[in-house]
Amino acid sequence: MSIDISHVNKRFGDFVALDDVSVSLPTGQLTALLGPSGGGKSTLLRIIAGLEKADTGTITIEGADATRTAPQKRNVGFVFQHYAVFKHMTVAKNVAFGLEIRNKPKAEIADRVDELLKLVHLSQFAHRLPSQLSGGQRQRMALARALAIQPKVLLLDEPFGALDAKVRKELREWLRRLHDEVPVTTVFVTHDQEEAMEVADEIVVINDGRIEQVGTPDQLYDEPASDFVMDFLGEVTELGDVRLRPHDIEIARTPDLAGSTAADILRLTRVGFEVRLVVGTEAGREVSVVTTQAHSRSLGLQEGERIWITPATGAATVPAMRSLLAG
Amino acid sequence: MVSLPTPAKWALRLVVIAYVFLLVGWPVITLAQNAFADGLASFQAAFSDPDVVHSLVVTVEISLWAVAINTVFGVGMALLLVRYEFPGKRALSALIDLPMSVSPVVIGLALLLVYNGRTGWFGPTLEAHGIVVIFNSPGMIMATCFVSLPLVVREVVPVLTEIGNDQEQAATSLGANALQTLRRITLPAIKWAVVYGVVLTLARSLGEFGALKIVSGNLTGQTQTAPLVVEQKYNNFAQGEAYAVSFLLVLISVLCIVVVTMLRPKESSS
Repeated sequence: MSIDISHVNKRFGDFVALDDVSVSLPTGQLTALLGPSGGGKSTLLRIIAGLEKADTGTITIEGADATRTAPQKRNVGFVFQHYAVFKHMTVAKNVAFGLEIRNKPKAEIADRVDELLKLVHLSQFAHRLPSQLSGGQRQRMALARALAIQPKVLLLDEPFGALDAKVRKELREWLRRLHDEVPVTTVFVTHDQEEAMEVADEIVVINDGRIEQVGTPDQLYDEPASDFVMDFLGEVTELGDVRLRPHDIEIARTPDLAGSTAADILRLTRVGFEVRLVVGTEAGREVSVVTTQAHSRSLGLQEGERIWITPATGAATVPAMRSLLAG
Repeated sequence: MVSLPTPAKWALRLVVIAYVFLLVGWPVITLAQNAFADGLASFQAAFSDPDVVHSLVVTVEISLWAVAINTVFGVGMALLLVRYEFPGKRALSALIDLPMSVSPVVIGLALLLVYNGRTGWFGPTLEAHGIVVIFNSPGMIMATCFVSLPLVVREVVPVLTEIGNDQEQAATSLGANALQTLRRITLPAIKWAVVYGVVLTLARSLGEFGALKIVSGNLTGQTQTAPLVVEQKYNNFAQGEAYAVSFLLVLISVLCIVVVTMLRPKESSS
């Protein structure tokens, strides 16, 4: 394992940011730390980088205990949400910074900077100042700067959080391709579950300073370990005794399937190819159902009509808390 | 922007211009007129007096020392106030502003009490080791440092707060130690604020009167500074020379302000 975090605790005053966190992040992979804001994921990343100190617990990077190593000696690349560009230096100088600190020969630095700027598609901007770049370009420059020192691990703190939706999507695809080209162990923090699922090999879900679940995107989606994980990864609705995804509910016009529940369509909203229904069961519960426009048309769904709904076979489900409490 | 009707706008401008003119403009113009009343005669008289020339040299020396010391400590204290949390931080911040609110004469007296050679707290000990503070350059530098203490700090603090510590952390993660981060990242980022603080400190130090009058002992030809010479000449009915030296002091201050004004636009464009 590339990064081993063991029994790490961190408090800020009364606030518990991390509560006895232990996790191993695999070598050469892209791992996402996913969770809501204030859940402790950024703190964990900053502790790995040495920018914060854990109150207790140890951090091991590539087998070496780094708990008390100064951040500048950890050889860790860090990319900040707001880029943290060196404003008074050109793009090339920014990228060269870590190499100049290491007193590398000038020719070697120039070659490496060229190579990295090519990698992040910024060669033609080498002599510009960061203020002349767009947000996405600045973040690519920051990434090149972090990669220049050939870090053992690359840490990204909400790297696309400050960018608009379109650039964000482009950059995350680009990051995935970059990682396939330069397979350095990478950990990135995000609160966007779609981003984590799309980019990461492995996801660590963190909430309230604790790890909720560790797994591949599919594992998390198909077998959520808790209500929290299920809720966080997508929409959830309740049907009978189970909680499941609205698109995992099958709709029929007749009560043919075993275990189907009768319900009336209360609201029907169409969003592009998707049709979202809110249906009321005879028990007085409201259930959300999502289906496609084509399917909806073939069934002739209308508001006020009666349908029969069933959990799809193989749907990811967890027992509904409410029914447990009621029972 | 609040939009005002045109007559109100003009009235407001008139009030402001009249205020500045009566308070600053007119007195300075009159001073210049008096300095040049006999052509350059007053200047010739003033600068042929070795005591006046010596006082100017002393003023420049003391000011340069004060600027150097306050620049180093000012940047250091600004870093301390912005980047670190420690008990008593608010008290320190308030203490730094003290010289702005206390009369320089009081500062001079306070230094005299602590460092004088006969009854001061440290004075006798220091003089026993051959360091004479009061009526000598060290005391004069201390007094000047004291009165101009907040100028660099107060220029640098807001800039440090605004740039945040992201760049410094990035430099650290790239392998830079504290000194390298300071030299390559922090100092270039606060450069213009420091320059502005330095110029203000210089202007303030050149003109210091009250604290220096007490601490220097006003010894003609030895510890007398230019502002002290102005007073002496004026009291000795050599008004022409007093105006001439005053004009020179004003000229230096105006030059300082002009330099700063020329530097400022560069800051916003870079």
